[in-house]
Amino acid sequence: MMLEIKDLHVEVAGQKILKGLNLTINSGEVHAIMGPNGAGKSTLSYAICGKQGYDITQGSITFKGKDFLQLEANERAGEGVFLGFQYPVEIPGVSNLNFLKAALNSIRKYRGQEDMAAIDFLKLIRAKAAELEMDPEMLKRAVNVGFSGGEKKRNEMVQMALLDPIFSVLDETDSGLDIDALRIVAEGINRMRDPKKSILVITHYQRLLDYVVPDFVHVLANGKIVKSGDKALARQLEKEGYTGIDVDGQAA
Amino acid sequence: MTEKNHFDGANYVTNFNAASTELPGSSVAWLNDLRQSSMTAFENVGLPGPKVEEWKYSNLNILKSGQYQFLNESSSQDLQIDNLCDKEFLKDIKGAKVVFCNGYYHQSLSNISAEPGITLVNLNEYIKVGPKDAQRLIHQKKSKSSLNALNAALMSDGVVLIVEQGVKLSEPIQIIHINTEMATAKALRNRHYIQIEKNASAQIIESYIGVDGVDCWSHTVSEINVADGASLEIYQFQNEGNATIHTNEAIIDLGEGTTFKHCSLNIGGRLSRTEIKPTLKGINSKIELRGAFLSRDGNSHDVFTHIKHMVEQCDSEQNYRGVLAKGGKSAFQGKVYVAKDAQLTNANQSNKNLILERGAEANSKPELLIYADDVKCSHGATVGELDQEALFYLKTRGLDQAAAKALLVEAFIAEVYEDVVLEPVKCKYLDLARKWLEAEL
Repeated sequence: MMLEIKDLHVEVAGQKILKGLNLTINSGEVHAIMGPNGAGKSTLSYAICGKQGYDITQGSITFKGKDFLQLEANERAGEGVFLGFQYPVEIPGVSNLNFLKAALNSIRKYRGQEDMAAIDFLKLIRAKAAELEMDPEMLKRAVNVGFSGGEKKRNEMVQMALLDPIFSVLDETDSGLDIDALRIVAEGINRMRDPKKSILVITHYQRLLDYVVPDFVHVLANGKIVKSGDKALARQLEKEGYTGIDVDGQAA
Repeated sequence: MTEKNHFDGANYVTNFNAASTELPGSSVAWLNDLRQSSMTAFENVGLPGPKVEEWKYSNLNILKSGQYQFLNESSSQDLQIDNLCDKEFLKDIKGAKVVFCNGYYHQSLSNISAEPGITLVNLNEYIKVGPKDAQRLIHQKKSKSSLNALNAALMSDGVVLIVEQGVKLSEPIQIIHINTEMATAKALRNRHYIQIEKNASAQIIESYIGVDGVDCWSHTVSEINVADGASLEIYQFQNEGNATIHTNEAIIDLGEGTTFKHCSLNIGGRLSRTEIKPTLKGINSKIELRGAFLSRDGNSHDVFTHIKHMVEQCDSEQNYRGVLAKGGKSAFQGKVYVAKDAQLTNANQSNKNLILERGAEANSKPELLIYADDVKCSHGATVGELDQEALFYLKTRGLDQAAAKALLVEAFIAEVYEDVVLEPVKCKYLDLARKWLEAEL
């Protein structure tokens, strides 16, 4: 078992957002979480990755048998978790290359490995950028500063490819993308598919799931998972919307 | 009598009279007259108090009693000085070096080997060798600042740098001030005269190095002329000891078609005041002032700039950044005067401050006095904390809290020095900032 979330309750600024969420993800699985606005989708991704201000008032998150709630965000990254942001943050003054090197070496340090030699790092990052069709010039620019929406998401994919996580959470990575950018992002995600790795795709639309076909689809509404199924559920939601789902999670 | 809101300067008159026979050049009559008239000018105004608008962020109450005495040359020498130099940095920069130890020229550490087209010598030597030339040079400017007058009255030594017409220096010249334990309870007053003649160009690296715990007053004035078509760049490092009071005033006259760049980093001192006062007297000239100040508990930095656009078609750019740890204090005061005839002036200033922890104080005060009607002038000031979203973003990529903070703060500072072409200078700025940060985060 990769990730086990049990009875998770999360509050943000005193407001109850998640109210008893359960989710189990095994190695090799791709799960998709869909749901209406305000259902708590982003809160779930932040709770998994350890953002400050997201208070876990009840329940547990266990990753590869470890109690995740005891770990800082950077330690969770060291354990192999990656969060693809809905709105990647701009960091003026820090070059993408320095940022990526610091990230990779921080994670290596956490795992008790030496820093990667500068020349090996450059080879690796150039290869990853090329795979994801990123202009190498973008590596020299400040992180996400002046990047278009598509370029930011592509940058997320390059980071994911470089850090090679065993569990990736992609929080509405598809939002605001044109069809070409969506294809790049989908390819980036599909590259991570592996029997030893798992992926959690959080999305508002079915569109991305045409490219990244999930093993399981869950509907998150009102702080809980109210329905689970296979990829057919995503299609049904696209057609019928969320109105057919009982958002209180009671048996219909 | 002193001016309104000024502290009485009588204690300094006592100091001055007590030191009179020890002052360098005391056998030169005009110099004595100059010292005496400067002392009178100081006495008539007094030390600016905190109610003087320009001094409200640097309280000179600590100088009121005149406890910092004149240090004579024979007492200034210190064998420990070798250990205080940054030898690596000295080695990386190949140009001439003028080193001052506790206010006096230090021959064995300096290297002023003659180059054609430049005069580079310490002030006391210059006065000794050519008192007539020295008299012309020294009588140039009349500053209204009382601290400037006090400096002239009690100056110990300085640099004379004259770069002759059309001469372009290939290497920067270093002026290094080192203050050691011998400086305890003393005032160290240097006075530099820098002339960049027509179409000449030079770069100067001006450093202040001190010993923590040494309570002294390091007080420098630089009088600078940049003639038509000439350019000057100054790179300043203020890394005094943590108990030092540092006051530094640069007065710069700029001719037509000139470029003047001033770049600084303020780290040391318990109270530091950096004044940069360029006057644009010829058209088509450019000024660029930039720098950072890093302030921690018991440590206050005040950067005061006063740019005078007297003629048309000149540009001035200012970019200052402050980083404040708990208990730190800083001020940036950017005064820009645009005279009635100074049409088509571009004058921009920006001051951003980053507060690392609550309990710090950052002051920012733009002051634009615009009397021309066809100008572009702007100013911006911010005070903020580290971006929590950016911190979280970095942490999800594996950086721990301290590393994430350090990366963001370094980036904030590094933007100021981005365009510094001299690589060892840029590295030195970033190294000093990094060391400061390591102690804070």
